[in-house]
Amino acid sequence: MSEPTAVAEGTEQLPFNDAVPGAVLGTWAEETDKAYLVAPDKLIPLLTHLRDELGYDYLSNLTCVDYLTYQGKKRKGVQERFEVVYHLYSTRKGGGHIALHVRVPENETVPSAVGVYPGANLQEREVYDLYGIRFEGHPNLRRILLWEGFHGHPMRKDWKEAYYEQDTKPFKSRHPRGGYQFHEDKLPWGKNTTYPPGWDPDTWQEPVAYVPVSMAPHPVVQDPEEEERRPHVHTESIVINLGPHHPSTHGVFRMLTRVEGETILALEPEMGYLHRNHEKIGERNTWLMNMPFTDRLDYLNSMSNNWAYALAVEKLAGIQVPERAEYIRVIMAELTRILNHMWSIGFLLNDLGALQTPALYAIEEREMILDLFEEVSGSRMMCNYFRFGGVVRDLTPGWLERARYLAQERLPRALDELDRLISENEIVKARCRGVGYLSAEDLIALSVSGPMIRAAGVAYDIRKAEPYGIYDRFEFDIPTLPNSDVYDRYYIRLLEAREAVRILQQALRDIPGGEVHGPPAYASATLEEGFGTILGGKGGYTLRPPEGEIYSRIEAPKGELGFYLVSDGKPNPYRYHVRAPSYINLNALGPMCVGYKVADAIVVLGAIDIVLGEVDR
Amino acid sequence: MDWLNLLVYPAVRVLVLFFVLLTGFAYLTWYERKLLARFQVRYGPNRAGRFGLLQPLADAIKALFKEEIVPDHVDRPVYLLAPALAIVPALIIWAVIPVAKDFPAVADVPIGILWILAVAGIEGYGVILAGWSSNNNYSLLGALRSSAQMISYELPLGIFLVSILVLAGTFSLVELVEMSRPWWEWLWLWLVFPLFFICILAETNRSPFDLPETENELVAGFQTEYGGMKFALFFMAEYINMITTSAIMATLFFGGWKGPFADQYVWLGPVYLFIKVVALLFLFIWVRASVSRPRWDQLMRFSWQFLLPVSLMHLMGSAVFTVFLK
Repeated sequence: MSEPTAVAEGTEQLPFNDAVPGAVLGTWAEETDKAYLVAPDKLIPLLTHLRDELGYDYLSNLTCVDYLTYQGKKRKGVQERFEVVYHLYSTRKGGGHIALHVRVPENETVPSAVGVYPGANLQEREVYDLYGIRFEGHPNLRRILLWEGFHGHPMRKDWKEAYYEQDTKPFKSRHPRGGYQFHEDKLPWGKNTTYPPGWDPDTWQEPVAYVPVSMAPHPVVQDPEEEERRPHVHTESIVINLGPHHPSTHGVFRMLTRVEGETILALEPEMGYLHRNHEKIGERNTWLMNMPFTDRLDYLNSMSNNWAYALAVEKLAGIQVPERAEYIRVIMAELTRILNHMWSIGFLLNDLGALQTPALYAIEEREMILDLFEEVSGSRMMCNYFRFGGVVRDLTPGWLERARYLAQERLPRALDELDRLISENEIVKARCRGVGYLSAEDLIALSVSGPMIRAAGVAYDIRKAEPYGIYDRFEFDIPTLPNSDVYDRYYIRLLEAREAVRILQQALRDIPGGEVHGPPAYASATLEEGFGTILGGKGGYTLRPPEGEIYSRIEAPKGELGFYLVSDGKPNPYRYHVRAPSYINLNALGPMCVGYKVADAIVVLGAIDIVLGEVDR
Repeated sequence: MDWLNLLVYPAVRVLVLFFVLLTGFAYLTWYERKLLARFQVRYGPNRAGRFGLLQPLADAIKALFKEEIVPDHVDRPVYLLAPALAIVPALIIWAVIPVAKDFPAVADVPIGILWILAVAGIEGYGVILAGWSSNNNYSLLGALRSSAQMISYELPLGIFLVSILVLAGTFSLVELVEMSRPWWEWLWLWLVFPLFFICILAETNRSPFDLPETENELVAGFQTEYGGMKFALFFMAEYINMITTSAIMATLFFGGWKGPFADQYVWLGPVYLFIKVVALLFLFIWVRASVSRPRWDQLMRFSWQFLLPVSLMHLMGSAVFTVFLK
């Protein structure tokens, strides 16, 4: 079944063939039953069928793998170089995903899924940017993370990183004659080492910044009668850049905004200013080296990033986690959730113009949580605390008592205080009620996740829908609110933080004693060579998960954080993809802002709650 | 000596006034930063001098030594004129405010209240011209907001002033303070003090009505393109406006320099006025620390649909009281 030729013979047992004949060519691998190979020309009908008939209404992840240097057991005889991967979920039924793989040769196109799932917009642009795969029918296919003049597509396996990979070093030394100036800084193409054909340094000019169609200058369209009545009034809309250096874009982020007066006609998010190609670096690292690197994604919530990555690798390598470590993980993740929600509430108020006071009140307890993190992990924000098969070290003596004091006394009180101070405030209500509305269906179609869809009345939480860790043991609710405006997005975070406190109290009550990570040789049976310690460090062998792919996700504070990993059995990941909630939630920014005022755009962005470390990766 | 009365005494008074106001501005920034810090569970400036008291000096030196940059794309004369237009009205409004018994800051003008209204009217131009001449979209939006906001809040403000004027029966602030008022008149005045204060907040562009500069929407609004001393002038204008309006409010609503024994000991007058001004400034900062900003259209609606009718009603009430009770 692993070879497409063999697959074609067994067409009749393949799923979905009654509805969309010939769409599914086979399963991706013998052992999986939820990953299918799909014919590119039948992709759109199949997606439509899955969405409309089978309830897979949520496109969680869309990414690509370049199988140039890995011809594993699953791809014998396959000619196509790329595989575009889609992961679909059902928000109504819950449960696991269905994965679709589309094999594409180089220089061929794939039909764009934007028509079926508008949420594919940013993800397809990312795949185009990093892999150079063109999506036919995409309305706005242009680079998103890299600049317009960047040459090549860096996630391709044959793209060499200049100055870092031996065979692409153009200079013997980056520091000519010991000078402080780097060689690459003198070149107009910066760190690109291959230049576009026909490039001539003498006539080269800075590329003109791209202006999207909706931003191109045009007069405001008025209705003819109005024009007739006031012929002398000529109005014109203007484009303003909110960002990249702007006080309230929460980082280096740009909103290209076309406004008429103060009303927004169109808004396009522009990002990539913090892009460091996390995924490329991740593929060069060993599996364990990526653990501290995940801290840097959403730098407010390093603990949940750690967990998402550890969970994915554990599933891939079949590593078990001891009981105590599972409890510690839940405690850390819920503390992180409270911390993040208090932070985002505080800074939403900052965006509303309440200068710093609510923010500083909101993050008072955050400091105490960070103290706890520091005590166990040695760092306040870049915790690097989780390991495959457990956590790196046990809790320090007295830690649990302090955490219990926080969970029972301080945090409920702090949340009540915030509720009392903010929720009934007239100005907050006037500014937030009814602003940034988008219906639940639209939000799901735009692949938005996390508190945003729960504020639209969709009770979808991965902790309940597809439980991971030990979340099935705790008693908690998924709060939902009906209005889907900025106010509800604020309030849902408060409610979620309260639920997190509930989980925290139960976990702190029930936490057992014992080991916090598996025995060193525990996982060696599933590995090719075995290794000394899964905690890394001295003398051990490097973790080598068995060949295969995995998509695993958790409910991070900002939404659905997923990791898509492909292992070729070597010490470093063959493919390492992060499904970042902040990034994909930005799909909804434009539709949410149109028709509101400039001041509202700031608040809507604040209520999406992005962290640029995760958006740009 | 006529020329002495005509030139020298006023000149000395003006110099003293400027010195006091500029020092007052410098320490108002310190006062505000300290208070804000306390509201926000922090310490505030505490490195330069004891309690950070030399901080304003350090800030002033920094502003003075900054490079003067005039961007290429601005309308140069207007761009340079705007900061001056902002600061001058803030200073000259003081001329008519009485600081002690029979002692106006510069001159007892019989049309003191009109002077306040007229000069306050000019204040808007500094902001509007700054935004217009900067040739920058943020500045333009800031100036647009500013012009709309200042005009719509000047209306209720003016009507409240007229209402006070009808009750007092005089245009002179010196007389206004010295006349004795019945208790019901004080109550009637204090009833609208919160609304008057809201108008003042909007008029001085203070948070939560700082829409022309809105740090987190328009970067710095009308003053985005200004740096160094030119920016400092706008900053000064805003803070001196705060002091000035506090003094006006103290004069109109709380008896100006009046207090126990201020009639016998003239030097107590400025002390009482100072205390009242500081208390009102506390109010400004308190509001800034605790309230978030309404949206522009909400602000306008509040002015036209609530403040204006209320001010008119108050004026009517004042007229009725004056006719039947005075």
